[in-house]
Amino acid sequence: MALPGFNLPGLGIRSTSTPQVTGTSAPDVEQPSRREELAPQSEWRFEAGFIQSYSVRLVSGHAELFGVELAQNQTHNLSGLKGAVFTWQGCELEVIGEAESEYSAQETEYATEWINLHGMLESARDGASEGPRVLVVGPDSTGKSSMVRSLAAWAVRQGRAPTVVHLDPREGLLAPPSSLTAVTIVSQMEVDGWGISPMTGPSLQPVRSPLVYHFPYATPSERPNAFKAIVTRSALTTLNKLEEDPLAKQSGIIIDTPGGLNDPKSNYDMIHHIISEFSINLVVALGSERLYNDLNRRYTSKSPEDAIAVLKLAKPGGAVERDNAYMKQLRARQVRQYFFGSKESLNPHSHSIPTNDLTIYRAKPASSDAALPSFGAEDEDDYDPAATSTSSSNTMYEKVAPSLAMTGALIAIKFCSSNSEEATIRDSAIMGYLYVADVDEARKKVRFLAPHPQRWGDRALVWGTWPEAAADLVR
Amino acid sequence: MSALSPRGSISGTSDVAVDFEDSLRDLSRNDRYEIGNLTSIAREYTEYAQAISRVLENHIKTTAPNKKLPALYVLDSIVKNVGTPYTVYLGRNLYSTFMEAYTLVDGMTRRAMDSLLKTWKEPVPGSMDHRPVFPPEIVRPIENALIKAKTAALQNQRQVQQPPYRSTPTPPQYNGQYAVPPTPNQHEQYPQYVYGNSQAAPPQQQWQPAMPPPTPQQQPPFLSLNPAARPMIDVSTLRADISALISRLQMAFAASPSDQGLITQLHALLKLKQVVDSGAVPDAALQEVRTKVTALAAVAPDPRRSPQPPVPTPQWQATPAMQQPAPYQPPASVSQAYQYPGSGTLPFAQPAASMLNHTAPPLLAPNALNGLQALLANGQKPSTPQMRTAVPALQNMPHTQLNNVQNNITAAPTSNTADLLAALSKSGVLSSLPSTTPQTAPAQNSTLPPPNTSSTTSLLASLQSILPPSQNSTPTTHAAQPAGTQSKAAIPISNSALKTFRPELVQALYDNQPNQCSTCGRRFLATEEGRAKKQRHLDWHFRTNQRLADPNASRGQHRQWFLDEVEWISIPEFDPSTASAADTTAAATVQKKRGAQDQYIRAPAGITRLTCTVCQEEMKSSYSEELQDWVFTNAVYYNGKPAHATCVEEMKKPWGGGGGGSLAAALSMTGQRQRSATPESSLGKRKAEGTLAGNGARLKTG
Repeated sequence: MALPGFNLPGLGIRSTSTPQVTGTSAPDVEQPSRREELAPQSEWRFEAGFIQSYSVRLVSGHAELFGVELAQNQTHNLSGLKGAVFTWQGCELEVIGEAESEYSAQETEYATEWINLHGMLESARDGASEGPRVLVVGPDSTGKSSMVRSLAAWAVRQGRAPTVVHLDPREGLLAPPSSLTAVTIVSQMEVDGWGISPMTGPSLQPVRSPLVYHFPYATPSERPNAFKAIVTRSALTTLNKLEEDPLAKQSGIIIDTPGGLNDPKSNYDMIHHIISEFSINLVVALGSERLYNDLNRRYTSKSPEDAIAVLKLAKPGGAVERDNAYMKQLRARQVRQYFFGSKESLNPHSHSIPTNDLTIYRAKPASSDAALPSFGAEDEDDYDPAATSTSSSNTMYEKVAPSLAMTGALIAIKFCSSNSEEATIRDSAIMGYLYVADVDEARKKVRFLAPHPQRWGDRALVWGTWPEAAADLVR
Repeated sequence: MSALSPRGSISGTSDVAVDFEDSLRDLSRNDRYEIGNLTSIAREYTEYAQAISRVLENHIKTTAPNKKLPALYVLDSIVKNVGTPYTVYLGRNLYSTFMEAYTLVDGMTRRAMDSLLKTWKEPVPGSMDHRPVFPPEIVRPIENALIKAKTAALQNQRQVQQPPYRSTPTPPQYNGQYAVPPTPNQHEQYPQYVYGNSQAAPPQQQWQPAMPPPTPQQQPPFLSLNPAARPMIDVSTLRADISALISRLQMAFAASPSDQGLITQLHALLKLKQVVDSGAVPDAALQEVRTKVTALAAVAPDPRRSPQPPVPTPQWQATPAMQQPAPYQPPASVSQAYQYPGSGTLPFAQPAASMLNHTAPPLLAPNALNGLQALLANGQKPSTPQMRTAVPALQNMPHTQLNNVQNNITAAPTSNTADLLAALSKSGVLSSLPSTTPQTAPAQNSTLPPPNTSSTTSLLASLQSILPPSQNSTPTTHAAQPAGTQSKAAIPISNSALKTFRPELVQALYDNQPNQCSTCGRRFLATEEGRAKKQRHLDWHFRTNQRLADPNASRGQHRQWFLDEVEWISIPEFDPSTASAADTTAAATVQKKRGAQDQYIRAPAGITRLTCTVCQEEMKSSYSEELQDWVFTNAVYYNGKPAHATCVEEMKKPWGGGGGGSLAAALSMTGQRQRSATPESSLGKRKAEGTLAGNGARLKTG
């Protein structure tokens, strides 16, 4: 199909005149490579495993992966990713390696919707001092995170600095799982990720400084009040940051949420909380007619000044469910990458600390079914998730002595002193994570793996129930 | 480009040519200095004239359309300032060089190229030589080809107009493809007869388009012409229809300004146009809009017979640049041999609005200035359609007054003629114009049914009901901007606007940023700033790769702690890959304010550990991102020996306030020397390093 605007003469010249030498040659020569021709507005969907290597190379034309344009003749490693390489103009791909599933798809109406949404946001940013604040909601596996990625990547490509707020503790953004992250994105996104948080030394990936909060549960509904408190706090900081940075303010906010947030039973309590705390002015409901209708009824009937636009987008055909096994692997990889790096290799530091010097708070499981049996100690917990805020804030953390059960756990270092109030501990941002490599109960010492050689001083440490212990990080 | 594979080839010829090519590639606008520079290169290396000529020809052929003109100016400058042998080499392929570029560039560039061609027929200005720049046998074929193309386009245009004038209200079918309502273009049947001739012609016949090009709003100037094949066609014809209808109503309104029904209709239509222009109309609704517009066109008043004072100007000259569907562009320069009729073989449609009026929102301006043009045509004899050169009154007007006109026009809410007139007289431009203009006799529309106001308003009301409300009233602009400009149509936030594909959004991400980094795919604008940014970006890639390749640099890296809330708020994110030195220092100064802890000394080669002379504890070196060197953080030289900055700070405290002690003076000296980054400190550093190097040697031997 001839698309208006695409058959510009200059384009053909550019794409044919500079055949380049491959910058990074194919990693495995033995791997079978094959060429795939993609028609305009079609995509190459793949589900790549963690173990096998899987990579694509753009031979000709233009293509992007969730908004991030692929450079021609560069090999992009996509193992462990489920996604789609989309092309507006048509392209030829070279695919190397095996994936669990891969096929080219033509039903890509979602891409039109997404880029139109991007166009709407761009229109709202143009000339405005305060950009759009978008909340993306919808059930799991409807492409929310992918859309947030695309919107952010497109905005950056047009010179904006959107702030992405990631509120899904199951999967980290620039941080391990159990993190709720806010980050302003000013530089081009990575094809296979969000970049890297600050590190020493040179880095291939763009460095971004995230602000990280800690929500040590798998879903917000386990501790709705704690979640809300953290949302309030992060909204406060984020909006403050936008006041400091006019470009970021103009570019607006995009908020990604976990699917568990849209619970009709609670009357979308949490969605409403996010909307009011961040002063959201556009809600995008992905893949759920009911959610859209409920939200639309609730927010568009308001008076015109504070009406919030609600948009309904369909679930993309390529959105697949990520099963538990996959998610577990993904989390383990995120934890590993936090300490050891991905493209850049990082050296974590080992700290051996006497148990007496440690103050560790245990985030108690919210309900009996959420308690992981491996942690044992909390059998008596019979917590009522519908408890009032006072009781929940009183019982969220308890001080524990380091025990063997802690081995393999991820511990958050809070930006507050170890004897702070519980609410302070709950709401504080974190300066980093520790991995419990070893607990020597006999010699009363705990060996931590820390990303940084510097000690963290007298700061509160929180041992969460989430994510699950990663046993194989250090041997 | 491929013909000139770099360095490795035969001789020095290629080096000169490659350098020349590199400089050419950087040339993206009409930069006198750069062009002069390239010309002097060409003058110095006349022995490589052939290679340079080939590079230049090649570059003109292959470069992006927006860079063709500057390259052609280089050619022009070389042949005029250096002359032979370049005239010979470049003359050989001049026809193909020129014509290939000509077919690809937009109307503005074409006009510039026409002027260029004209100068080639003449001798070099100020030269003793009376021969033309290029011999006539080279220039003439080009001229002939251009004339041929234009004639063909003209005939094409005439053919389109072949369906004879019909006085029926039913829309005639053009080419059997799509219906065009009886818009005023019907009375364009004889415009070519007055071409180049100073016959009197009713003004509105002059400023109505003969046939709106397919996509006046969206089409990039150098798109290949294939309107029927494109899905946009429906929208664009509809748009053209609406524009035509609007101007018709405006004429009617000019005739009878008190007609309330007309005002309502105009309002509604302008709104409709805005919505359609913004592309926010779903396909299904478009069809409906279409039928209604057609129906409306049938009953709308047609003022085509309204008597107007004759204007003794050639028809083409009165064609305003503002009317966007204008099929041909009037010349930009005053003296101009050609005009550009039709859009047959050479597409000429282009956003002319930007030429004339950047400040007024294009949505209002076309209509407003359209009316203005008519008025001006009535009052004064325009010599060219360019507004500023058109009317002596406007021409001689100070710039501020012109702005005033524009502002007033912009302020006119409905852009109808009455408001326009009011605006103009307010700005004092029209005082010299005959005041009778608005009172011209009403349209003689005996062939049409009288306008049924009530029915048309209801029609329009129903039209509006099927359209999504346009929430964003940002004026729509032409999507076909030259690459790099960021203007785009506002898209209202609504579910219905989600479905239609808008190529301009993709274009903004790809084609408008043609300057791509081959390593990471990042794109940059084709502007001066974009190139500078890309340069910095490439430098950054280079630096990063260099440092990654250094085995020393990559050991011992670790992740930093996350920022706390206060730092996160106050430290602005910046993109190191394109940051200029100023940005970096700005970011660095934010981090500098941290006191003693942030003092450092550079690690002498081979030394990773030192002992603090104050507390006797070990100090470890680490790699500083900022300095790109190994440093000991929290360290200063204390009496020539390394120590923790904090320890020294502690030690200084008791004496700090003291006025005279020699120890305190010595201490403060040491402190200052380390803290300032002025040349003086480099002296100090050298000295300190000397002592330390001795230390290191001792460490090694010992």
